[in-house]
Amino acid sequence: MIAPSAHYRSLRVRVPPKVHEGLDALAWRVAGVARRRDSVRRQLLAEAEQIDRRAGEWQNLTEADLRGRLFAARDAARRGRSEGAEWRLGALGAIREAAARTTGLRPYPVQLAGALALHRGLLCEMATGEGKTLTAALAAIMAGWSGKPCHVITVNDYLAERDARWFRKLYDFCGVTVGPVVSTMEPDERRSHYAADVTYTTSKEVVADFLRDRLRLGRVPEPERRLLHATLSGGGSNGRDVLISRSPHAAIVDEADSVLIDEAVTPLIICRPQPNDSLNEAVRLADRIAAGLVEGRDYRIDHRYKEVDLLPAASVRIAELRAKLPTFWSGAARRRELIEMALSARIFYRRGHQYVVQEGKVVIVDEFTGRLMPNRTWREGLHQAVEAMEGLPITDPSEILARLSFQRFFRLYRKLSGMTGTARETAAECWKVYGLPVVAIPPHRPCRRDHLPTRFFAGADGKWAAVVAEIVTMNALGRPVLAGTRSVEASEHLAGLLAEAGLRCHVLNAVRHAEEARIVARAGERGRITIATNMAGRGTDILLGAGVAALGGLHVVATEPNESTRIDRQLFGRAGRQGNPGSARAFVSLEDDLIRRYVPALLRSQTTFAFRLMPEPMAKRSAAGLLRYARRAAQRLASVQRGNVLRTDKWADESLSFAGKNRDS
Amino acid sequence: MPAENKTFSEMWYRVAGLSVWLGPQVRVRRQHFRGDVWHLVEDPFNNSFYRLRPQAYDFVGRLRKGRSIEEVWSECLELDPDGAPGQDEVIQLLAQLHQANLLHGDLPPDHAKIFERYRKRKQRERRFIWKHLMFARFPLWDPDAFLVRTLPLVRWLARPWVILLWLGIVAFAAKGVLENTSGLGAQAMNLLAFENLLLLYAAIVVVKTLHEFGHAYTCRGLGGEVHTMGIMLLVLSPLPYMDATASWSFRERWKRIAVASAGMGVELVVAAFAALVWVAAGEGLARDLAFNIMLVASVSTLVFNANPLLRYDGYYILADLLDIPNLHSRGQKQVRHLAEHYLFGLKKSKSPANSAYEAGWLTAHGILAGIYRVVVFAGIIFFVSTQYLLLGLLMAVICLVSWLVVPAGKFAKYLADSPSLQRNRTRALLVTAGGAAVVFGLLAVLPFPQSMRAPGILRAAEFSEVVTEAEGRLVAQLTPGGTFVEAGTPLLRLENEDLHREIESVSARLRELEVRWRRALGEATPDLAAIEQSRLALEARRARLLSRAAALVVRAPVAGVWSFPQSEEMAGAWLARGARIGHVLSEGDFVFTAIVSQRTASRLFADETRAGRIRLAGQGGMPIPVGRVLFIQAEQDRLPSAALGVLGGGSVATAANDAEGVRTTEAFFEVRAFLPPEQDALLRHGLTGSLRFNLPPEPLTRQAGRRLRQLFQTHFSL
Repeated sequence: MIAPSAHYRSLRVRVPPKVHEGLDALAWRVAGVARRRDSVRRQLLAEAEQIDRRAGEWQNLTEADLRGRLFAARDAARRGRSEGAEWRLGALGAIREAAARTTGLRPYPVQLAGALALHRGLLCEMATGEGKTLTAALAAIMAGWSGKPCHVITVNDYLAERDARWFRKLYDFCGVTVGPVVSTMEPDERRSHYAADVTYTTSKEVVADFLRDRLRLGRVPEPERRLLHATLSGGGSNGRDVLISRSPHAAIVDEADSVLIDEAVTPLIICRPQPNDSLNEAVRLADRIAAGLVEGRDYRIDHRYKEVDLLPAASVRIAELRAKLPTFWSGAARRRELIEMALSARIFYRRGHQYVVQEGKVVIVDEFTGRLMPNRTWREGLHQAVEAMEGLPITDPSEILARLSFQRFFRLYRKLSGMTGTARETAAECWKVYGLPVVAIPPHRPCRRDHLPTRFFAGADGKWAAVVAEIVTMNALGRPVLAGTRSVEASEHLAGLLAEAGLRCHVLNAVRHAEEARIVARAGERGRITIATNMAGRGTDILLGAGVAALGGLHVVATEPNESTRIDRQLFGRAGRQGNPGSARAFVSLEDDLIRRYVPALLRSQTTFAFRLMPEPMAKRSAAGLLRYARRAAQRLASVQRGNVLRTDKWADESLSFAGKNRDS
Repeated sequence: MPAENKTFSEMWYRVAGLSVWLGPQVRVRRQHFRGDVWHLVEDPFNNSFYRLRPQAYDFVGRLRKGRSIEEVWSECLELDPDGAPGQDEVIQLLAQLHQANLLHGDLPPDHAKIFERYRKRKQRERRFIWKHLMFARFPLWDPDAFLVRTLPLVRWLARPWVILLWLGIVAFAAKGVLENTSGLGAQAMNLLAFENLLLLYAAIVVVKTLHEFGHAYTCRGLGGEVHTMGIMLLVLSPLPYMDATASWSFRERWKRIAVASAGMGVELVVAAFAALVWVAAGEGLARDLAFNIMLVASVSTLVFNANPLLRYDGYYILADLLDIPNLHSRGQKQVRHLAEHYLFGLKKSKSPANSAYEAGWLTAHGILAGIYRVVVFAGIIFFVSTQYLLLGLLMAVICLVSWLVVPAGKFAKYLADSPSLQRNRTRALLVTAGGAAVVFGLLAVLPFPQSMRAPGILRAAEFSEVVTEAEGRLVAQLTPGGTFVEAGTPLLRLENEDLHREIESVSARLRELEVRWRRALGEATPDLAAIEQSRLALEARRARLLSRAAALVVRAPVAGVWSFPQSEEMAGAWLARGARIGHVLSEGDFVFTAIVSQRTASRLFADETRAGRIRLAGQGGMPIPVGRVLFIQAEQDRLPSAALGVLGGGSVATAANDAEGVRTTEAFFEVRAFLPPEQDALLRHGLTGSLRFNLPPEPLTRQAGRRLRQLFQTHFSL
C-alpha cells in the first residue's frame, strides 16, 4: 500500500521558479557570480581530502559493519537529516569503500569532491575521462537514500543501460534500488524502473514520460483536487495507478551542457495521428498545382533560409483551387499556405538527403548524423506534402497533445545538479535559466594531451588531403587515430580516401549505440584507425593498447569544426584520458558547412581569396577569425532560439492561464 | 507571442478542448469605422474593453458553455473560409480577452494567476508613471455620482441656441482683442516673468479644470461613465484630469467627436469671457488674471489641444473624422514599416494600413507628428530657457535623453538582435551606418557658412561739431539743415539780452571811468594810475563780451553739409555755452562703427574673417557692401553713441549708474568699416544698424558647441 504522503508526492509538481527579468535578473546574475566563487571549490576539495584521510575508518570494517554504517546513513537521510557535514563525510566515506569493494574502483578525492558538488546541487565541471559515471553514482546513492526519486540523465540509451548495469552491485550493497529506462521499454517495465530509488534514463525519455503522465491525469492534475474528486465520487482513480513516472525530485544530469543548453533549442512534443481527410485531399490538389508553377514567374526561392515567396502571377493559378478544395482549405490565406508547403516540399526536400522512402513511407534522415528517424514527422502538412510529391499514400497528420520545453522541465526538479567536461562557456545561462552554479573540479592527474595547432585550408580537397597525410604519418608511427566527422557522408568520404592511400580503417555507421561503443572502446589499439561521427560512442572510455602510451597515445583528428567549441573539446577529450598521453588536431577548410552556413557569402569569398594570397601566419589568423565569426553567429542563432523557447513558455504561462496551469507543467 | 498567423499552431492543443465564453457581465456594442463594423467588448465593472474585427467577433460570439474552442473554430472555417482566423490568431485573441478578464471558462480559474496579473498590472501602471514622469497621472476621485447629480444644472449650456450665444460671445471678444493688439504684445512679453508665474499657473488650473469638466459632462450627458478624476503632472506641474475614455465605446461618431471637442469649446468660451474682462478692466490683478486666462485658454487650445499632431483632443477628433482609429501608434508603425520595407529591404514587413487611403494618412501623420513634436518641444524649451536657463537646460536634457538617447539605445538593440532583422541585418546595419554617416557629415564635417552680427552706428568719415560759443536763446535758423555751407556761413542766430545789457553796463562804466579819468587828470590826483588800470580791465572785458555777442551768430566751422537734426526741439531753446547743436559733415565718406563684445572679438581678429554687409535700421532690404575694415585692437568702454546702449534703444548693456548711457558694462572692441562712396542706401550720420561678419565656414556641431559654451559663460561665468 502506498502511504498517502507518497501518493501526494508522486503527483505533486513544483511550480517552476521564474526566470528573472529586469533588475531581478541583474541581482540574480550577481548572486550567480557569488555562487560560483572559488571558495566553493576549495571547500569541496577540503572535504574530499578529509574523507580520503579518514579512509582507514571504513577500510578496516567488516562487510556487515560497513553495511550497518550505510544503512544508518540511509535512515538518517530518510528522516531528513542529510544536511550536516558529519553525515555527508560519513556517508560518502562509506559509499566510497562500498564502491571499492563492489566494483574494484576506489573513487579518487576529486571524484568525491564531484559527488559532494552534485549533492549540493552544483554543476560540476570535470575533465573528460575523470570517471564522471562513478561520481554520479556516488551522488545518486546519497540522493536515492531519501526515498524520493533520483534521475540520472545520460546522453543516450546505451549509456543509461550500461551505467545502471555497472553499478547495480554498488547500489544493492548500499540499499538503493536502481533501474534504467530506455526508449525500447514497455510501460510496465518503465513504471517499475521509475519506482526505483535511482533511475538511469535519457532526457527525452524522462520528459516524454512526464508529459504522457500529465496527459493521463487530464484536466485535474493537482493531487489535492484529485483526492477530493476521488473521495467525492466514491473511490475512482486517484491517478497513481495510471502514472508511469514519479514527479521530478532530484536529477543528476551528465553532459549537462548538451542536455540543458544544446538540446533545449526545441521543446519536446507529444503527438498522435489524427485522421484529417480534408487535409489529405487538399495536399494532393496543392501538389498538382505546385507542379505546374514555374520559378521566376510564380515564385522566388530563398535558398539560405529555405523559403518560397509566391509572386502575384501565382495567385491566378491558386485561385483555381478555390472551387475544388474542401471548405476548410478554401480560404485565401490557407490556400497560399498549402501551395507554399507543396512548393517547399518540391524544392528543398530531396529523396536520399532529407528523407528516404521505406515500405511506402517517408522516413526522415537526420541531416547531421545521417541516421534514420522512423518515428519522426515534419510539421503539420509538410510531411503530407512530401508524401503527395512522392505519390505515396498520405498518412494522417499528427496532432500535438502536449509540449514541454527542456528549460521548463528541468526547472521542475527540486534538486538539480549536473556534470560536464565543458561548463564554463555556459555558466551564465545555466545559472540564469536553471539556477545551477558551476564549480570546476581539477583533474585527478594532470592532462597530458598535446593540443596541436589548428590547420586551415581554402578548399575542402586540400583539407582532406592533409587529413589523410596526417593519419598516414601517425599510422606509420603505430599510434591509433580517431577521426571525428560531422556527418556519415563525410566519414564515408574519408574512409574512401584512406582506402586509396592503402590504409584499413573502421568506420562507425552502426545505428546501435552498443556496437558504436564497442568499436570506439577499441579505438585505442595499436595502429588502429577509427572514423566516427562526433556524437558516436560518447561516454565510452577508450583504453590504450599495450605500448601505445609509449608511442604518444591516441591521436584525435577533428575533420570539421562544430557549432560550438564545446563539441570540439568533447571530441579532443577522447585522447589523453586519465593521465594518458595523447594529442589532437583540428582541420578547418573555408568551405566547411559551419562557415558556409553562418558567414555571409561576400565575406567568405573575400576571405578565401585573401587566404590564398596572404603569407601563412596572416592567412591563418584571418581564417581563424572567420571561424570565430561563424561560431559566434551559430551560437547567437541557438541562443535566440532558446530565448524564443523561454519566451513562448512565459507567454503561454501568462496569457493562456485560462487553459489550466498544469496542462504541461 | 506567435508572430505569424498560420493555420496551425503548436499551442493549439492547450486551448482546443476547452470551453470558454464571454462573461455574463460583458456588454457588446457595434461601432462603425470606415464603413467596417467593429465590435466593442466591454466590461462596465472595470471599464476594460477590447475591440474586435467582425471575423473575430464572429468567432467570439459563437463561444458557448459546453462547446469546445475546436468545434467553434471549425464551424467558423466552414462558414467563412476566407475570413476565419487561424489557430494562432484565435489563441492570441483568447489570450487578450483573458488578460482583460473578459472570459469565463469551464476550468476553475487559477486564482494565483489572477492576483499575479493584478500585481503585474499595478507594476505596469507604476512603471508607466515613472517612465512618463513628465505626464504622470494620479487618479484621486470617482466623480461619476457628482456628475450625474449636477448634470441637470449644466445641461442647458449645450442647448443649440446657447451654443449660438457662445459663438456670438467668442466673436465679440475676438473683435475686442483685435482692437487692443498693442497692449496684447506688451503684456505677452512678461508672460513668464517671475511675478506672473503664480497667476499663470492659477489661470492654467482654472482653465484646465473647466476643460476637463467640459469633457466629463459631455461624456456623462451622452451616456458614458466617468469614473476617474485626478491629478496629472504635466511637466511636473500638477493639473487636473478626467478619464472620459468611456466615450470611445460610443457607437455614433458625432458623440465621440462631441466629447473630444467639448473641452476646447469650454476653453474658447472661457477665453472669450476673459478677453472681455481684459479689454474692459483697468490695470490690476483682475486684468492680469484675465489676460493669463485668455492666453492660456486660446494658445494652449490652438497649439496643443486642437492640434491633431499631438495626442490631445484634436487628434481624437481627427481620428474620428477620418475613421482611422489609433492614428498615432499606427502612424508610427507605418513609418517604421516604410523604413523596414524600403530601407532595410524587409519584404515581409506588413503595413498597418488597410487601404491606400489609410496608408496615406498614416504616413503623413506619422512623419508630421514626429517632426512637430520635436519642433514644439524645442520651442518650449527655447522659450523657457530664455527666461530660466537652468530649467530650460534641465528640460532639454530630459528631452534629449527620452527622445534621443533612449530611442537610440532601443534602435541599437533592435538592430543588434531583433529577430525580424535576422536576414537583413547586414543591410540594415549598412543603411543605418550610411544614414548616420550622412548625418554626421552634415553636422560635423561639412562646413557651413556662418556669420556674426555686431551693432553699430553710421557716422560721416569727417565731421565737425557745431558748438555754441556763447549761451543764448535760439531765435533764428539762418541756414536750413541739410544744405551745403561754406566755412563761416552763419547758421543760427542766438539772442542773449543779458549779454547785451552787460555790454551796455560795461560801456557805461567805461564812460564813467573816462569822466573820472579826465577829472583826475585835471586835479592831478594820485588816483590816476588806479583809474587807468580799471579802465584797461573793463575794456578787456568789453572786448570779450563783444566777441561773445558776435558768436551769437553760429557759423559753420568747416565747409560741408549742415546737419541740424534737432531743429524743431531747439527752436527758442536756451542753449548753454558749449552745447552741441549739430554737425557740419564733409560730404561723401561714411564710416560704420561697430561694437564687438570681448567674447566674440577673438574670432574676428582671427584670419579669414571678412566683414560682410551692413544693414541699417529701417533699410534692411538694402544691404550695404563694405570696403576696408579696421579692427581697433584696444578695449574700450564708452560707446561712440548713446543710441547703441540700451538706454538709447540699442542692444548694448550700459552701466546702471551712467545717466548718459554710454558706459558699457563690458569692455568691447571697435570695428570701423569704411563704406564706399556711391550707395543706393540713404546714408545719414547717426543711423544705427548692424554689421555682419562672414566667419570662416565651420561644421554645424562646432558652431552649436561654441554658442552653448558662450551661453554658459555668460550665465555661469565659467
